[in-house]
Amino acid sequence: MPYFNITYQVKESIAYVTLNHPQDGNIISESLAQELRDVCQEINEDGDIRAAVFSGAGNKAFCLGNELERHLRDKNTGRNILVEIESVPSRYGVASAIARLTCPVIAAINGDALGQGLELILSCDIRITADVAHFGFPPIALGLMPIDGATQRLPRLIGKAKSLEMLLSGELISAQEAYQIGLVSKIVPQSRLASEVDQWAKKITTKAPIALRYAKEAINKGLDLTLEQGLRLEADLYFLIHTTEDRETGVRAFLEKKPPEFEGK
Amino acid sequence: MSGFETIIYEKKEGIGYVTLNRPQALNVYNLKMRDELYQILGAIKDDSEVKVAVFRGAGERAFCAGADLTEFLTAPSPTIARQARWERDVWGLFLSLPQPIIAALHGYVLGSGIEIALCCDLRIASEDVQFGLPETGLGIIPAAGATQTLPRTIGRAKTLEMLLAGTRLNAQEALHLGLVNQIVPREQLFPATEKIARKIASRSQPVVKYTKFAILHGLDLTLEQGLELESKLASLALKVRYAE
Repeated sequence: MPYFNITYQVKESIAYVTLNHPQDGNIISESLAQELRDVCQEINEDGDIRAAVFSGAGNKAFCLGNELERHLRDKNTGRNILVEIESVPSRYGVASAIARLTCPVIAAINGDALGQGLELILSCDIRITADVAHFGFPPIALGLMPIDGATQRLPRLIGKAKSLEMLLSGELISAQEAYQIGLVSKIVPQSRLASEVDQWAKKITTKAPIALRYAKEAINKGLDLTLEQGLRLEADLYFLIHTTEDRETGVRAFLEKKPPEFEGK
Repeated sequence: MSGFETIIYEKKEGIGYVTLNRPQALNVYNLKMRDELYQILGAIKDDSEVKVAVFRGAGERAFCAGADLTEFLTAPSPTIARQARWERDVWGLFLSLPQPIIAALHGYVLGSGIEIALCCDLRIASEDVQFGLPETGLGIIPAAGATQTLPRTIGRAKTLEMLLAGTRLNAQEALHLGLVNQIVPREQLFPATEKIARKIASRSQPVVKYTKFAILHGLDLTLEQGLELESKLASLALKVRYAE
């Protein structure tokens, strides 16, 4: 599928998706949102992909938000938005599509992740950030609230109190603070971000793809269940893994002291 | 609102300031304070002029050192006490406020004190703060929500340690565990709290209330249900915003 607002390539079983409007901070338009949803489907349908990486083009911004802020200032498009307001969250929303990716997803945060840009990284599994990036929700100052899951995913990551502070004050936090509160897994100098992320993604691709998917599913679904139900889910998935060839490959390689080569079967 | 014995309530520029005011007794929580708090919380809830509420403690030594134990031995029968607890459900009222509440914490924050702090949304603390749950050492258990609110804030292990072994937390530990949002020097406590209160008070009030509602209620829902709640509230917020 051709994409105009994002770039998409697959290299060595890793899917790289880049928001590609660096001249305006990679902000999310309706068409960019549609392409992100499409690419997520394409990734899910591609059996060879073992990990996905989301990033922004340029060295300033990962993503500075969406077009709604601009529409708010422009009376005409603002009125158009008003007509179909109920569908705004689904027309602009991308985080749920990313959350539905079954393979591990890394956010390579090359620059500021603000507004919907912040929301987008919350549905990735691992967040690695450049040291120069900031995080926050400035649109609150314009009277806009999150539309892409931040009120739900942010407290599940960093807790209620810090989420309320970020989403209500609208103040930005640094990469350092984001690390301290557990919003990102690692900070690296901007020039080293791509190689660092590649290293993580490659490490992931050496592991058994089905096991990765099931582990991700057990953690994500389990958080919505009671402990007893979650343990049950984990056990069920564990026994399902017994039917895969990868399990035999992994165990045999371990016993023979060789690195395993998984086929995702 | 004035004429309270145990609390000072002031309203300034859209911010409601509630000061626990029994400094000679480390602001410990007694029946009078319960009744006055109930009145004040009800008033804040219904007052559309109050955009943010701030809770703080008078005096130098404590935000609130717990419940007033001198009243414990004169308590009525368990059945009457239980009835009173739900007739004047201060804690339920506290958690139902639509406005954000910020706690400015210093000195002792023990027992009921930490439970009040946990009913607040944001917690700013000074360097001299000390958190603890002395209940089990007194032969009782917390009754204002700490067994539920604390593990949801700092996790199970540390809550159990505090409650079962009596471990107290200092400012750095509390920050590390996410119990407080920020630590500031003692003299900066009220200015820093006021700064963030003003910032929130300057925001669109429907959006502030919807955001608080989505975050607080969303955590008791599945992620999918929570996202649906956010989506509905976000549409409502957009309508309010674009209609202006």
